[in-house]
Amino acid sequence: MTTDTATSPGTRATDPGAEAPRHRSRVPRTYYLMLLPALALFTFFITLPALAGALFSLTNYVGFGDWEFVGINNYRVMFTDPKILSAYVFTIGFSVVTVIVVNVLAMLLALGLNAKIRLKTALRGVFFVPMVISGIVIAYVFNYLFSTSLPSIVQSLGVGGPLSQSILANEDLAWLSIVIVTAWQSIPMALIIYLAGLQAIPDEVYEAAALDGATPGKQFWAITLPLMAGYVVINTVLGVKNFLNAYDIIVGLTNGGPGTSTMSVAMSIFTGFNSGDYAYQMANAVIFFLVTVIVSVLQLLLIRRRGVQL
Amino acid sequence: MTAQPASTQTAATVPATREQEARRRRGGPRLRKDRGGPTNWPATLLLVLASLSVLVPLYFTLAMAFKTPEQAVQGTGFTWPWPMNWASFADAWTLTDFPRSFTISLLIAVGTVVGTLILSSMASYAIARNWDRKLFRWSYFYLLAAMFIPFPVVALPQVKLTAMLGIDGPVGVTVLHVMFQMSFSVLLYSAFLRSIPEEIEESARVDGASTWQVFWRIIFPLLAPMNATVGIFAFLASWNDFMMPSLITSDPTEQTLPVVQNIFQLAFATNYNIAFASYLMAMLPTIVVYVLAQRWIMEGVTRGAIK
Amino acid sequence: MDHSVSSVTPGSGLSRRTLFKALGVGALGVGSGGLAGCSGGLGDDTLRFLMNKPEVVGYFGELITAYNEQSGRPPVFFDSTPTSISAQFVRGVPPDLACYNYQYEASTYVNRDVLTDLRDTAPAQQIAPHVQELVSQFADEEHRFHVLPYSTAAAGVIYNVALFEDNGVEVPTTWSEVIQACQTFQDAGVVPIYGTYQEGWTMAQGIFDYCVGGMIDVAGFYARLREVGDEFEAGADYSFSVVMADAVARMTELAEFDNEDAAARGYSDGNLAFGQGQAAMYLQGPWALGEIEKVDPDLQVATFPLPMTDDPEDTKCRVNLDLGMWIPAQTPHREAAMDLLTYLFQPDIINTYNAENLYYSPLEDAPAQPDERVAGLQEYVDSGRFYQGPSTFIPPTIPLANYLQELLITGDPQAFLRKLDEDWRRLALRSA
Repeated sequence: MTTDTATSPGTRATDPGAEAPRHRSRVPRTYYLMLLPALALFTFFITLPALAGALFSLTNYVGFGDWEFVGINNYRVMFTDPKILSAYVFTIGFSVVTVIVVNVLAMLLALGLNAKIRLKTALRGVFFVPMVISGIVIAYVFNYLFSTSLPSIVQSLGVGGPLSQSILANEDLAWLSIVIVTAWQSIPMALIIYLAGLQAIPDEVYEAAALDGATPGKQFWAITLPLMAGYVVINTVLGVKNFLNAYDIIVGLTNGGPGTSTMSVAMSIFTGFNSGDYAYQMANAVIFFLVTVIVSVLQLLLIRRRGVQL
Repeated sequence: MTAQPASTQTAATVPATREQEARRRRGGPRLRKDRGGPTNWPATLLLVLASLSVLVPLYFTLAMAFKTPEQAVQGTGFTWPWPMNWASFADAWTLTDFPRSFTISLLIAVGTVVGTLILSSMASYAIARNWDRKLFRWSYFYLLAAMFIPFPVVALPQVKLTAMLGIDGPVGVTVLHVMFQMSFSVLLYSAFLRSIPEEIEESARVDGASTWQVFWRIIFPLLAPMNATVGIFAFLASWNDFMMPSLITSDPTEQTLPVVQNIFQLAFATNYNIAFASYLMAMLPTIVVYVLAQRWIMEGVTRGAIK
Repeated sequence: MDHSVSSVTPGSGLSRRTLFKALGVGALGVGSGGLAGCSGGLGDDTLRFLMNKPEVVGYFGELITAYNEQSGRPPVFFDSTPTSISAQFVRGVPPDLACYNYQYEASTYVNRDVLTDLRDTAPAQQIAPHVQELVSQFADEEHRFHVLPYSTAAAGVIYNVALFEDNGVEVPTTWSEVIQACQTFQDAGVVPIYGTYQEGWTMAQGIFDYCVGGMIDVAGFYARLREVGDEFEAGADYSFSVVMADAVARMTELAEFDNEDAAARGYSDGNLAFGQGQAAMYLQGPWALGEIEKVDPDLQVATFPLPMTDDPEDTKCRVNLDLGMWIPAQTPHREAAMDLLTYLFQPDIINTYNAENLYYSPLEDAPAQPDERVAGLQEYVDSGRFYQGPSTFIPPTIPLANYLQELLITGDPQAFLRKLDEDWRRLALRSA
């Protein structure tokens, strides 16, 4: 999640190995004791449930009572289940769109806040506020705005069209509301990263470019963006990781509806809790895990490549 | 961002790249502000407009919260009610059992922060100082792997596990929050620990301090800036979480502040004024803390973001 | 009532009790087990009795109070949180005694063998065999006694007597007469049927069950599907798309007569509107009668079973096991649970409950249901001309209610039935 992921810990081995000699000696037992609690708890609360879940994905377990192994039946069925497939399509599509929206807007805001403007501190303060508000709560607020305020404003303007009804009840548009609220909440973090990145660009670069007669637009494409590439990657990685798990905001806005049009993978997995689909949704979870790993590995490769340019 | 984050950095707070190091010696990065020239009014204006996207929903929450039930169902909801009706807050207070849900949220968040700080910093220290040992190196990657295991993947088994252990409530939520905060925190600590020269420890060791003492008396205090960063992230993640408590906690009376807000979607769907009063009460604690400690929080978050 | 969760009435008094009821629904679509105090809150010797049918929470509350006063045992904890019981089983903390709507979901508990066998208990001997048989219709070829019926509901079309008289409409006895009646109301500017699509369960237990149940052999259909098992093929002669085709076509025809804004209306809107005389007919069970009465105590309503063919002899009414009692096998309080169960099964208690709440007692020789609002169904109940709602056989993993919403708005019966077929095939494959 940081620029360091690009280079560490692999490169750590090549760091000036000041401590290497000391470790020839015996490692004090204290170090083991310091590491142990984290490892033990982590194994017990994350690794173990993950393995148990993977095991149960091969059964017809409903969460209680009798069960038996059914091989890869759950997986076979899953890949033909439109409810689950559409959850993946929705989740991945939503993540891609939201990542783009968040990055573009955060970059624009960062450039603006980095310019010579008035009210800088106040504006910055305002833009960061969404970061500290719970997603579910803000989703409930927007729920009212989308379902009641927006339609009544549109209606009073006398404009027809889809916006005169609640977009939350519109199968084609409901996902947009989720993008908007997710972006609202996620932009501050991306903005902070971009601001930090912009500040790391020395003024001299711009001064030189300005002397050469480069327009601000040109400066952005030729200087700012390439220098910010690493930060764009960070924001993308961070964003995708969060958006793939979309849940809170969807619950607050559409609860997966209308129909199942905004059902995310996380939501779909959680239904396994009370619909007798425990094992089936565990298979879904295993696939979701693989998808997450693949996406993350792709991104890490990207980072490594970018990392060189940083 | 102004000069503030960079200028308050000490050699210890940020393991710097060579470039940053060089810049610091020159007296900190120069700011756009320092670049003379006139105020960029169009940018100012656009940003002020853009800030409405944040302010309007907040204003709306405020306006709705002070309405009477009759006013709350009229029009678009944007009109400011006069006279203001304070009664909704009392209703929201009882309905969500605010003191209770607030306390539970706070305990979980504080517990998460403390647990994360202690577990992650100790583990990171052990790992950083024994990097050439396979076990520690592998542990690092093992702990980092949780980044690839989002909560939904392990949610169902964790529900069973916490129920089996009888911690299907705030305790279980706290433990799991700590677990899911671990990867990121270990990452931050490890990066930071590498910048702390070992000579500092050596002298203490010569004086006969044990590894344990060295960690708690020397290293942990030196980690202070990173503790702040890790703590802020852990607090925000835990305080604002909805997914985990809503699944793990079985007793509705032990739910957190964000989760109890859902009653207004179900039983009291039409009591908008009370719902918004309650939303406001759920938002305010973090907003107030943020406003009061803005500079400090931003510093910490920035450190986590770029480090 | 197939709506245990969906009908927390908005705007009801703001009490802590309602709050926690609401919170139980709470975990939002995932239904966290809202078991007030199972971990610590309750003493080890406290029995937790779960009954969360919203319309009769008050009634059972009094029964439990009366029981506590005379039992000489630690007081029973009455849990009325509207929550998913499956989630409680997943957590390993089911209630000690449950009195719960019996349909597919609850039949899982029988099939996964997590309930106590009650065959040899006294209450089991009093139950009329044909009612007990309803339990077995859900995938239980062994006819186990793990669930004892406590209350059956008979349901049909609730109608506004005055509107019928004013428009000269007789109670229809054939399908053509139904359509004719609807037409008459429509021409007279009266909403013929009040639909509440916003809450899917109202369609599942109403228009879907009435239309399909009135035309096909429900128990036989599902028995055949179980027999076919994972050999199930979409479009085969035993499949949804073949067996239910005519019924679903008639259903969409009937839905044409629903109020214009049905898509945006829910259960409480429906009760209110029908209570205010806004519509002639309302496809709801007896549970809605009490709610309608609250709107207008003087409104004269009655019930008739929906005829689906042109032979009056074919007409049947819908019944469901509104409440069934069971004791989880793992309870440490089996003996105490048995004591409470026996208490609640005393004829004067169970018969009174059913009589007063417009239901039918499962006991042999139970008195007839005296209320005239449901009297129109009595002869069908007595002569065994009833079916269990086909929707109650469909597991929650198949989102029937959502499909119905879609169907009634877009009106594509083929697509609807195809989805049921395909979902059923997937379910069969992985339960194999």
